[in-house]
Amino acid sequence: MTIKRRDFLGSVAAGSAIVTMPGFLSGCGIQTATAIASATPENPFMDWFGVDQAVVARVMSELTSRGADNADLYFQHTRNNSLTLEDGIVSSANSGIQQGVGLRVVIGDQTGYAFTEDLTLQSMLAAAQTASAIASGSQIVAPQSFNPLETGNLYTTTVPWADVGVDQKLPVMKFIEQHAKSKDPAIEKVAVYWGDGDERVMIATLDGKLVTDHRPMARVTVVITAKKGDETQSGYSNIAAREEFSWFSEERLLKMVDEAVDRTMIQFEAKRPPAGEMPVILAAGASGILLHEAIGHGMEADFNRKGTSIYSDMMGKKVAEPFVTVVDQADIPHERGALNYDDEGNKAGRTVMVENGILKSYLHDKISAKQYDLKPTGSGRRQSYQYAPMPRMSCTFMEDGPHTKDEIIAAVDHGIICETYTNGQVQIGAGDYTFYVKNGWMVEGGKITAPIKDVNIIGNGPESLKRITMVANDARLDTGGWTCGKNGQSVPVSQGIPTVLVSKMTVGGENVS
Amino acid sequence: MSVDLTNQALKAVELAKAAGADEVAASIRQSRDVTFEYRDGALEKVKDTTSQGLGIQVFAAGRYSSHQTTDLNTERLKSFVAEAVAITKALEPDDFRKITPEELFQNRPDIDLDLVDPAVAEITRDQRLAWCEELDTVARDNEKVISATAGVYDGSSLSASVSSNGFSGTQQSTYCWYGSSITMMDKGDKRAEDGFYVGNPHVASLPEATIVASTALNRVLSRLNSEKGPTAKTTMVVDSRVAGSLIGRLLSPANARSVQQGQSYWGGLVGEKAFSDTLTIVDDPLIKRGFSSRHYDNEGISARAIPIVEAGVIKNLYVDTYYGRKAGLRPTTGSPSNRRLGTGEQSLAGLLVDVGDGVYVTSWLGGNADRTTGDFSLGIRGHMIENGQIGRPVGEMNVTGNLRDLFSRLEMVGNDIYPYSSTLSPSLVFADVDFSGV
Repeated sequence: MTIKRRDFLGSVAAGSAIVTMPGFLSGCGIQTATAIASATPENPFMDWFGVDQAVVARVMSELTSRGADNADLYFQHTRNNSLTLEDGIVSSANSGIQQGVGLRVVIGDQTGYAFTEDLTLQSMLAAAQTASAIASGSQIVAPQSFNPLETGNLYTTTVPWADVGVDQKLPVMKFIEQHAKSKDPAIEKVAVYWGDGDERVMIATLDGKLVTDHRPMARVTVVITAKKGDETQSGYSNIAAREEFSWFSEERLLKMVDEAVDRTMIQFEAKRPPAGEMPVILAAGASGILLHEAIGHGMEADFNRKGTSIYSDMMGKKVAEPFVTVVDQADIPHERGALNYDDEGNKAGRTVMVENGILKSYLHDKISAKQYDLKPTGSGRRQSYQYAPMPRMSCTFMEDGPHTKDEIIAAVDHGIICETYTNGQVQIGAGDYTFYVKNGWMVEGGKITAPIKDVNIIGNGPESLKRITMVANDARLDTGGWTCGKNGQSVPVSQGIPTVLVSKMTVGGENVS
Repeated sequence: MSVDLTNQALKAVELAKAAGADEVAASIRQSRDVTFEYRDGALEKVKDTTSQGLGIQVFAAGRYSSHQTTDLNTERLKSFVAEAVAITKALEPDDFRKITPEELFQNRPDIDLDLVDPAVAEITRDQRLAWCEELDTVARDNEKVISATAGVYDGSSLSASVSSNGFSGTQQSTYCWYGSSITMMDKGDKRAEDGFYVGNPHVASLPEATIVASTALNRVLSRLNSEKGPTAKTTMVVDSRVAGSLIGRLLSPANARSVQQGQSYWGGLVGEKAFSDTLTIVDDPLIKRGFSSRHYDNEGISARAIPIVEAGVIKNLYVDTYYGRKAGLRPTTGSPSNRRLGTGEQSLAGLLVDVGDGVYVTSWLGGNADRTTGDFSLGIRGHMIENGQIGRPVGEMNVTGNLRDLFSRLEMVGNDIYPYSSTLSPSLVFADVDFSGV
């Protein structure tokens, strides 16, 4: 069954009895008793958090009362919504509000941190005193006012998620389910998981900057369970972006459904490859997980300033062939990993980590940038106001190379090509990293042959970089909803790569003896 | 304090009822958490926080939703709860969505789980610093050490839960953890890294900081000059410290939700012999000082020990009320507590002697398992077992197979339960496991 675009839109417009949730929560959720009277607020974020320049200055002064090289207040309000469709009905919703302010004092590489969820002056001053205890000096001159920086426009939306009601999302979820069910009679169950959210941050820094950012996010996942005889297989696909409701076009949703169904049904035929070392082709897109694990984390400067990364002594050295260029770039519009400003208030942008095979730059936050006497790369990120920031990736990818996908496949006599992934991990010091391949294919005699599934691949970061022997010209970012965890903090990221050949990696599989 | 929280939770229930909910469950938690991290001779990070949050579950007109907020301001809570009820009513009706029936609240145990140590609230800055310094001194007592981070993490949490059909309870616990992570220079640009952390609800139960740091240091020293091991089918010994993670993967689909959704290789196996005789697992929420001990679960179901696997036979699944109704299974609990494994007679050393040759796994690196089929593939580090002894360190290897098949080849378990985890597992010995390496 296919639903035409017109019907799809019609079903959305019809809605249900409950109309779209009005924006009342977006406004009323955060005004304090001392709400501002002016009709056109000077700074809507200040109003949102119920503070003004004088209050922020007072708290900053308390925060730096025992000295500071660097200090910031990170105000954040996050509202997330999720819906679950299982067994044909949308019968569960969840929403969450997280609001608070994180207060940080930095002296050299020492950090004092506190947060409060109570945005009254009294509570903020108490938290500021707690955070300031890391320092033992005397009061420094704190700014009396904060200069608002221009807001970014990487993911501006016309309709915030707070204004999109359950009645609008529900038909879209049903559309996904119905289309998936119609794809194959073996499909027994389809589940659809919807998630969206609006995040507002306001960062006031010791050097007098005031940065504000409204960060939308949406992710939809479809999970397929199919049965043939007594064998059951399941698979999934998802799409995610800093986007608004209208981004979920019929075309985009259908593509996601097709991927999920294909990934599920192929597993009935897929086998484990033989175990051991072999050439591995990484298909364009999600295979960017290689870069995230094999080099990205190792290039985060907190590890390097401590000397604990395998890349600590490699700056300026050749680490790969000249056709290998690896970038971390936050200013890509609407990507899941995109950021206008990082969580320290620095403009986020493009950092070339490996340029034509040479190691060029780590990913810096303010602490590491100061230690290396460099400008921060805008890589300081945090999960929420409950955490101090640290260097993190945003959208990590490899630039196009000189080869083609067909040339790469033709060059492999006995190996595999990997297409979809669930997760990866790395040991920063030893450089060993892994990623889990959900779907892929054997490559034999220069041709793609039988499907494979469920194998972990393990390698060593610098060794694998050297073993990238071919890079194709088909680079693309994956639209999947990737989340990166580090030291207990999760942040959304994107990743991408062109088709590449790694001449040798260790593939989990079965021993054919 | 707990009376205040209970009253706040009751207030949220009243608000939801007033806004049109039929039944409501609410819970409020408060926590204090202190972090001290100390690196290479100096304090690096101090974090001291108190946090709060409210969660409500709303049942209205045969529909269900759940909501959380950290904003407990009275006025704003009102609109938050009103919106929660409105969202609920916009969903589709589902006959299986009902508040936890009262009979599941009955017979709540009242034994003292000993989860609160008043001494945790009295830990001073000086005490934390002293632990950090002891850890740091011992952890860096080797010229190859590049960097060592000592951490002290302590705190407490308090929660109160109530429901519109008569549930009321409070739970409280404290914790204190400390330990060291160490990075050491190895071959070429490689660094060896490892760590060791211990924790308990009671401060006095912790081993000396110096012992903890020296264990961490010895663990890193044992990793030096690690190489890739062979591709082979051989015996795998999983150290008790990391066995919990493998047990977690085994049990991950052992619940009514996964089974009802058709995504569990445990489906249809209750009452069947699915694993080796050697495997016994009990979910036990009533262990004194257990990391996941409790008197009731997140649905208010009274806690009791639940046998999951007995001598290889599957006895129970984790069943919450919703998916239990859908799957026609009697509720046990939907949220795991402490997992206690059956033990054997031998120490790790004894197991290794019996094994003779194989691979001794001391940590995992990435990997995953398909919950529907049980197929898994995991990265590992560890040592070769040579003539019954721990041999050369190996890494950059994978172990691959199927979880049901793997646990049907569980040949021996040790007597060496690892105490710093909510999964109380001994070391495990599996026959004929596929390793990929050189």
